[in-house]
Amino acid sequence: MLRTSRFVPYLYLTPAALLLAFTFGYPLIAIFDFSVRRIRGASGPFVGLENYRQVLNDSVFHLSVAHNAQLLLAVPILLGIGLLLAILLYERPRFWPLYRTLLFLPYILAVPLIGVVFSNMLQLNGVINEILRAIGLRALALDWLGSAGLALWSVMGVIIWREVGFGMTLFLARLQSLNEEVTEAARIDGANWWQRAIYVTIPQLRGVIEFYIVVSIITMLAWVFSYVYVMTRGGPGNATIVIEMYLYNFAFRNALPGVASAVAVILFLFTLALTIPLFRLRAQALEEDRT
Amino acid sequence: MSWWGEQEAPGLENWLKGSIALFEKETGHKVIPTLQDTTVVVSEFQTASAANNAPDIQYLWNGIYHMESVWLGYVEPLNDWIPEELLKASNATSLSIFGGKQYRLGWYAVPYMWAYNKEMFDRAGLNADQPPKTWDEFLNACDRLKASGVIPVVGGLKDGPWGEWFLGHSLTQNLDSAGEAIDLFIGARDWRDPLHWEPWARLEALWKAGYLNDDLNSIDLYPGIDLFGAGKGAITIIVGPLVPKMQSLLGADKVGVMVMPVFGKGKMAGKPLADTQGLGISSQSKHKRIAADFLIFLNRPERVSALWEQVKQLPANANWDGSVITDPVIKQIWQEWMHGDNVPYVSNLMPTLFWTDAMFVNSQKIIAGEYNGEQAGQNAYEVTQKWIAQNPDMVEKYRQWATELKL
Amino acid sequence: MNAAPTPLDSAQPIATSAQKHSRSFPWERIARQAILIAASLLVLLPAYFMMVTALKTPEAYSLSKFSLPNPLTLENFDVAMRGGRFLLWFLNSSILAIGAVALSLTVSAPAAFAIARMQFRGGHSFLALNTALMVLPPVVMLVPLFLFLANVRLISTYPGAALVYAGLVTPFSIYLLTNFFRSIPHELVESALIDGASSLTILLQIMTPLSAPALVTLVIVNGLWVWNDLLIALVLLPRDELRTLMVGITVFGSRYNNDVPVAMAGMLLASVPMLIAYLLGQRYFIRGLVAGAVKG
Repeated sequence: MLRTSRFVPYLYLTPAALLLAFTFGYPLIAIFDFSVRRIRGASGPFVGLENYRQVLNDSVFHLSVAHNAQLLLAVPILLGIGLLLAILLYERPRFWPLYRTLLFLPYILAVPLIGVVFSNMLQLNGVINEILRAIGLRALALDWLGSAGLALWSVMGVIIWREVGFGMTLFLARLQSLNEEVTEAARIDGANWWQRAIYVTIPQLRGVIEFYIVVSIITMLAWVFSYVYVMTRGGPGNATIVIEMYLYNFAFRNALPGVASAVAVILFLFTLALTIPLFRLRAQALEEDRT
Repeated sequence: MSWWGEQEAPGLENWLKGSIALFEKETGHKVIPTLQDTTVVVSEFQTASAANNAPDIQYLWNGIYHMESVWLGYVEPLNDWIPEELLKASNATSLSIFGGKQYRLGWYAVPYMWAYNKEMFDRAGLNADQPPKTWDEFLNACDRLKASGVIPVVGGLKDGPWGEWFLGHSLTQNLDSAGEAIDLFIGARDWRDPLHWEPWARLEALWKAGYLNDDLNSIDLYPGIDLFGAGKGAITIIVGPLVPKMQSLLGADKVGVMVMPVFGKGKMAGKPLADTQGLGISSQSKHKRIAADFLIFLNRPERVSALWEQVKQLPANANWDGSVITDPVIKQIWQEWMHGDNVPYVSNLMPTLFWTDAMFVNSQKIIAGEYNGEQAGQNAYEVTQKWIAQNPDMVEKYRQWATELKL
Repeated sequence: MNAAPTPLDSAQPIATSAQKHSRSFPWERIARQAILIAASLLVLLPAYFMMVTALKTPEAYSLSKFSLPNPLTLENFDVAMRGGRFLLWFLNSSILAIGAVALSLTVSAPAAFAIARMQFRGGHSFLALNTALMVLPPVVMLVPLFLFLANVRLISTYPGAALVYAGLVTPFSIYLLTNFFRSIPHELVESALIDGASSLTILLQIMTPLSAPALVTLVIVNGLWVWNDLLIALVLLPRDELRTLMVGITVFGSRYNNDVPVAMAGMLLASVPMLIAYLLGQRYFIRGLVAGAVKG
């Protein structure tokens, strides 16, 4: 440790602290204040918990929450595919670096770009349905983004398509830091591929898996705006609206920042509740790394 | 002095720049224009006003899109600044007036209409010079068009506004005045009344009969209109400024315009819909006199003519001599839509929440097979109740406005 | 999740034993390759679609969406270039990304240095708080940020947006740099101290040069984050001429969603620079984004 005068550390810290206070500190206090007012322009009269009451009674908000909850189903799928691919790559089959490059690629691409490409592919008369019809699956050629029952599943499919490479890479990195002798011993003992994966490899990944699950949950609850905005704008008929979009609509379309702030507070408390386990898990994962 | 606005109509930007240069030469006053994104034209003006940072002149959409700002005290009444005669001639429409004061000066015309492909009408054995007027005639035409192998009506609903356009044309049909539309938006009339959800029931019937493009729900508004321009559909809902483009794509003699066929019994049914884009002055402006002078300058006969000569936009100004129009269809629009027995565009009266959560949602859900007309009416009712609860401060103003618009 | 030497770098030398075994189970090897090939094809399908469609005439596209383009046309790129202002959008995104990353690094390095190498009250709490901020979705802060920036007249300006972006990526910068600074050997600092160096000299002349790998990671992760953001750009830069690439292609894609060849030509134009960057700097991307895991 450097020995400095008492004030020097704070001097170093101040610029960052100011920037964080501006982007996080002030807004996090302000949303609580705004959420109990009917904001018109920059401020407005105090209305108590009225905004919360309206949000919590709004069927569109319920729908948004339900949609985010439905997106959580992507988490086990992401985890399963990510793990499978990571374990396959870990065994270093021929061309594995090429596969890794390819499979990670979607995660680099921007969501709007992917969204535009997929929404064209998923059109009723788009390429995906053309392929389905060509291979005799005419009955499966559906209006992927245009029909209410399907649109959210289609969006989820695209989210999985993009995000799976990230989990894979994360697991692979962890696997490659493991001691190979354990797996080797299992192999010599006659354990087959499946047994090795379930009883030897995956338990060793426990920390990073738990961490990944929590991060993915937060992603599905609060980081899917761009997918929805680009592919469906929340439609058809609110069939794909999510909490972020609900908030966005109230803040920037319906000109009710007070109501939007009430949603922001709810979302903030949600994320906060999830951050606590995340902290514990990351600490564990770091422990594992050190041992 | 600052000017904020969008110029969605192609070429308008040059016209504005030209006007600014001429104005500066004549008066020495500089006007600095800023181009806004269409999605924020309304909200950005309000935000800026709240921050005491509004531009001197703001481009204003008609109806509630600027009336809300008026109620918040952000827009200057023009009556003290601009001669009465010009206020009237500018064609800002009745939706720009509140409490006896006018808040906008009309700029260019945005008539709302249906366009049809005359060649396709001919081929389907329909009279291309007499487009359907009643709903039955229309259904019959759709039938014949479909049998002739074209899609009768094309559009794009994925992004939403097509739902607004459809309702703007059809809601009017069972109403006697624009004020009655407001009654619906503030709960003084009931959306659950079959009379008022009839538009959505009509849409449902069109969809079920297979008269609309099957990918209606998966393409956006303008690509939907492009289907018409590409000769893939016989009829589309359109706005005046887009008609010349369709003419250049299909041939000037192939494009006809019509009023939405009539199913309703209100006084406004079957009449052309007229609307204008306009300009107003911020109540915070420190240069109100200059701003007003600039608006007056833009309405000089020479400038108004230039709007037509250079940009091919129909000016809103009623003093402009429409006889210079040579194209018969555009001339028809000028005469019937802008200067005939027209009615205002009632979609301009609804709150944003209704726009997105009822107008977009209802149409999309009908096409997705989730709603019928009645359920759409039920949803419209619920959205209205929700808006009232969220905006108690606006409801009163709306009520007063409705009274005035019924006079 | 530590950025400094990630396991990926050590992957190559120990690649032999697993390969040896895969040879002993041929069916396993086939199944493995089959899965990986299938997954790769799924990843490549949109890219294939984008490329062939961009080169197709509208007529050819309406006849067959999957087939190779015949006849070939470059017309779509022409239309796309006229319909979208790609160069301007690139420029805007670049200015914001560079500005935000630079600002964030400038404030984060000293802060991380203080936390990692100095003893003072509140250092630990600051780091804990900072780490918690990493998972907070920006949409939570957006309304007050928007109103605040409007108040100080920074809406629709580069500085306003860059400031917000810089702030949003700063928790990660501080987190990563703190960890990295801690891993730098104490001896180096000690000897500098003996030579009478000030704390500022140590930061600038010892810590910073030694942190090149962490800095590269930060530039990539944060730059990519700003580059790929849609929401904030949508809200804070509501001006035609300030559109970022992400807002631009969103609007563009919506405008041409019935003229798919033009839409795809536009997407191809927009993605090429990123693809080249990824293929050239793949190692850094992978390492950086794994290190940045917490950012979601």
